[in-house]
Amino acid sequence: MIQFLAETAWLVPLYPVVGMVLSLPWSPGIIRRTGPRPAGYVNLLTTALGLLHGVLAFPAVWHQEPTYLYFPWLEVAGLNLTIPIELSALTIGATIVITGLNLLAQVYAIGYLEMDWGWARFFAFLALFEAGMCALVLCNSLFFSYILLEILTLGTYLLVGFWLNQSLVVTGARDAFLTKRVGDLFLLMGVLSLYPLAGTWDFSQLGEWAKTAELAPATATLLGLALIAGPMGKCAQFPLHLWLDEAMEGPAPSTILRNSVVVATGAWILIRLEPVLALSPVALTTMIAIGSITAIGGSLISIAQIDIKRSLSYTVSAYMGLIFIAVGTHHIAAALLLVLSHALAQALLTMSAGSIMLNTITQDLTQMGGLWSRRPISGLSFLVGVVGLIGLPPLGGFWALLKLADGLWESRPWLLVVLLIVNGLTAFSMMREFGLIFAGQTTPMTVRSPENIWLITLPMTVLMGLTLHLPLVLQVAGLLPSWASLDKNVALLLLSSSSMGCLAGALVYVVQIVSTPVRLPVPAIQNLFANDVYTPQLYRSTIVFGVASLSRLANWVDRFVIDGVVNLVGFVSLVSGEALRYSTSGQGQFYLFTITFASIAIALITGWTLISQSFPIL
Amino acid sequence: MNTAEFPWLTTIILFPIAASLLIPIIPDKDGKTVRWYSLVVGLIDFCLITYAFYEVYDPSNPGMQLFESYTWVESLGLKWSVGVDGLSMPLVILTGFITTLAILASWPVTLKPKLFYFLILAMYGGQIAVFAVQDILLFFLVWELELLPVYLLLSIWGGKKRLYAATKFILYTAGGSLFILVAALAMAFYGGDTTFDMQALMAKDFPLKFQLLAYAGFLIAYAVKLPIFPLHTWLPDAHGEATAPVHMLLAGILLKMGGYALIRMNIEMLPDAHAFFAPILVILGVVNIIYAALTSFAQGNLKRKIAYSSISHMGFVLIGLGSFTDLALSGAVLQMISHGLIGASLFFLVGATYDRTHTLILKEMGGVGQQMPRIFAMFTTCSMASLALPGMSGFVAEVMVFVGFATSDAYSTTFKTIVVILAAIGVILTPIYLLSMLKEIFYGPENKELTSHEVLVDAEPREVFIIACLLIPIIGIGFYPKLATQIYDSKTVQVTDMMRASVPSLVNQNAQLSPYAKQAMVAPNLTQVEIGG
Repeated sequence: MIQFLAETAWLVPLYPVVGMVLSLPWSPGIIRRTGPRPAGYVNLLTTALGLLHGVLAFPAVWHQEPTYLYFPWLEVAGLNLTIPIELSALTIGATIVITGLNLLAQVYAIGYLEMDWGWARFFAFLALFEAGMCALVLCNSLFFSYILLEILTLGTYLLVGFWLNQSLVVTGARDAFLTKRVGDLFLLMGVLSLYPLAGTWDFSQLGEWAKTAELAPATATLLGLALIAGPMGKCAQFPLHLWLDEAMEGPAPSTILRNSVVVATGAWILIRLEPVLALSPVALTTMIAIGSITAIGGSLISIAQIDIKRSLSYTVSAYMGLIFIAVGTHHIAAALLLVLSHALAQALLTMSAGSIMLNTITQDLTQMGGLWSRRPISGLSFLVGVVGLIGLPPLGGFWALLKLADGLWESRPWLLVVLLIVNGLTAFSMMREFGLIFAGQTTPMTVRSPENIWLITLPMTVLMGLTLHLPLVLQVAGLLPSWASLDKNVALLLLSSSSMGCLAGALVYVVQIVSTPVRLPVPAIQNLFANDVYTPQLYRSTIVFGVASLSRLANWVDRFVIDGVVNLVGFVSLVSGEALRYSTSGQGQFYLFTITFASIAIALITGWTLISQSFPIL
Repeated sequence: MNTAEFPWLTTIILFPIAASLLIPIIPDKDGKTVRWYSLVVGLIDFCLITYAFYEVYDPSNPGMQLFESYTWVESLGLKWSVGVDGLSMPLVILTGFITTLAILASWPVTLKPKLFYFLILAMYGGQIAVFAVQDILLFFLVWELELLPVYLLLSIWGGKKRLYAATKFILYTAGGSLFILVAALAMAFYGGDTTFDMQALMAKDFPLKFQLLAYAGFLIAYAVKLPIFPLHTWLPDAHGEATAPVHMLLAGILLKMGGYALIRMNIEMLPDAHAFFAPILVILGVVNIIYAALTSFAQGNLKRKIAYSSISHMGFVLIGLGSFTDLALSGAVLQMISHGLIGASLFFLVGATYDRTHTLILKEMGGVGQQMPRIFAMFTTCSMASLALPGMSGFVAEVMVFVGFATSDAYSTTFKTIVVILAAIGVILTPIYLLSMLKEIFYGPENKELTSHEVLVDAEPREVFIIACLLIPIIGIGFYPKLATQIYDSKTVQVTDMMRASVPSLVNQNAQLSPYAKQAMVAPNLTQVEIGG
């Protein structure tokens, strides 16, 4: 039975697809009698089935060699494409994480969107997300991964644009789509140029090929950079980071998924492409540079945000930056561990933030405070999320960061410094957020803010439990780094950076030894980070401006030059026709004059040519 | 009755035309009988096409099939000869499909319904004839004949500037087709034996200079039709003024005639000249993609925006034609089919939106998504198809062109890199204008000025049905491209082989004729026809 389930684990992405199709009848106007809610329940059921399938199949693939399945797709003129599926502990484990988080997010959504009118749409989009991600982790081909990334891009667009009559939502959705699309297209270029070089798109074969491949440095660099661009867009890395911030306008249940697993799909592709990327030192350096810039910049921006969700979204960028660093320095296991621990902790943080937002009228951190006594479960969840995210033992984040830090200590110590700074800043930022929401005096906005109904609280508590148990799970799976092999100094450094960050954050925002809101002595710096390092303005004055003016120019050329010539031809023929009309006046003398004049002219011209022929000097 | 000997194509072409002649005598005052009559005629003809396709047509045979030939005017040597091969068959099916849907889409037409349906049915036969005739003189005749209904459809049922648009359309295309006549006659009379038969013309051996001249003539004519920059300006005007059903035919079928004829005549009959013109086609294709995409972004009129997007998508056909690989050629044909479906669906939706808002100016719309959720959903889906989202036919076609061109051994790496990067920029521009368009129509707060005087009703079942019919093949091809490619695969492979066979000799012999071609083209190694691996 288990073996059968393992062999059919490729069905997991199809469960949500079924759910998506089944929720269609509840879209507006088809089934009215029941209201839209059954769409949500149907999707909950299909997701649960997907999770169950994955969980039951997992023991069969545990400690086994990966098995591969192939489905033919396109056979045309010398190009045969089959869809390869990899069934291994890693891929099925990933589907369990995805379906599990999705299940929690869906229960959460049932509570969160209780009053909403677009249930069918929302759950169908969530199912699309889930199907895309499950297919992505199971898929063993770069080409089909690209396709799935694009489908996820579509999912982001649709989910962010869910509340479609708010103007910020609209620009957010469009920008998310465009930014990711730009990254994806570069990725596509890389994918296409990789095929003639390697002759395969299968990740496992690409790894084999990369071991022996010899590429010209320029080719390898271009290829590597193109391949990085896709994950850069997905993982919201500088300079393609802005969409994640804008995407926070979408509904919170979808944000849970986006912050935890959807952005991580980019990291997943990056991890699987690591052998190919390793061919180009420039690409690796670029990855490390981009990762470092985003990690430090993201955590600094996060501290300056006053929106509860946006502050979280920048820590996502920052952690994805750390994963870029990990892949750039060949620490694959650490990167995967970081993806997992970050996914759980970040999902928990987002759930807690969403639960606060729902019952508090505002999203503005500066208007919150004093919620600890009113919202103990949310507060506790937030704290557990913080500890799970940063490097504080014994939760998952510590082990992931420790593994990475330990590797960096030996090879590139200065990157360890980056990691410690990011960890400290994130700790500070999270404690700041915690302090602003839960500590201090109640404000008019938070006076009436009770804990939510169980549909929201239950998934949050379950996830809190999972986050707390993650180290145990890792221990059982043998994924925790053994304490003996680790450098104790590194662990100490990590611990001190986390505790310093937490302490500073707690002192300023929880105990409030300085008066809030905190004003830096140089307001320019504070404004710089509060305004996302002025990236929106940068975009607007460069790319947006460039495209807009180019398109206006093209339009002008089209109307006045190309079409102008056409219309001129028409105009000239009309005018000359009109003018010639006056020559038919009906006067015999005029006709005679014209004939005589023309004959003389012809005679002169022919005569002149004859004369000039006989007398070449003229 | 023997199905193989039945004159399928003649029946398919003449049936709607004959049926259209009956329309004047049908007693009908409010136009309701006529539209059902036309729909039934369209459906019967489409069924005939499908039946002939399943029963008689063999996709693995690259040659001419269902061939019929009757002498028509003996003194001229004019023959009624029709036949289909892998190139024509998909387009014939597309024509039957789109035209039948267009009849269904013209339900709201109330002005002179008899004349309208008469013209549509006449066009039905005329369009199929363009793809099916195998006699070059006859080709010219049906090419011209099919312009007439379009002219009338534009000038009677169009928008405010319809006369300007219709005149521009007819002058452009008629002017262009003069070149077809001249080049066709020159080719027919060249050498000792006079023949109008396309197969015979293909076998004729023309000297290079003659080929280049004839090629240029054909290219001008088909550049108007496809359209290719800078001969495209009739299209935004014509598309901007046409009603939705006419629009569907213009975008869905008429543009494809240009691409079809380019393959049929320029490539198949004049392969040596094609070797010289191919880089120019590729460059024009890139210009089409980027220029039209940029211009589209700047349009404030919904129909003109989509019209420019059509021009932009046709650029991929050009790149595919000029790339000397069967994958890219196959992609070009698929792009024609795919754009036929997507273009028709988008233009239909534009018409449906216009029926409700009564404005095409984007600034006057806004926030209508909440009142028309079904139109909103369909519009979003079709826009996604148009911007080549994976899982839809446009993506497969564009990727095939990309891969085919990138692996082409006929061009230098630098040239290929530049073309691919520029085309990719065009692909980034597509979502920019399409998403901005969606944003302006559907998203955001409701435009009170619009909702105060227009009743925004959601899509009726007829409209949902039309879009569903178009989306099924779009998504079907997107997920399983073999559905479409297997119809014509053997033919495109044959065309590519022929096209490649004429390249190396040319580059060595007459490279001085076109210094550009020499620069961009390196002699391909013929043994290495398949792409790497």
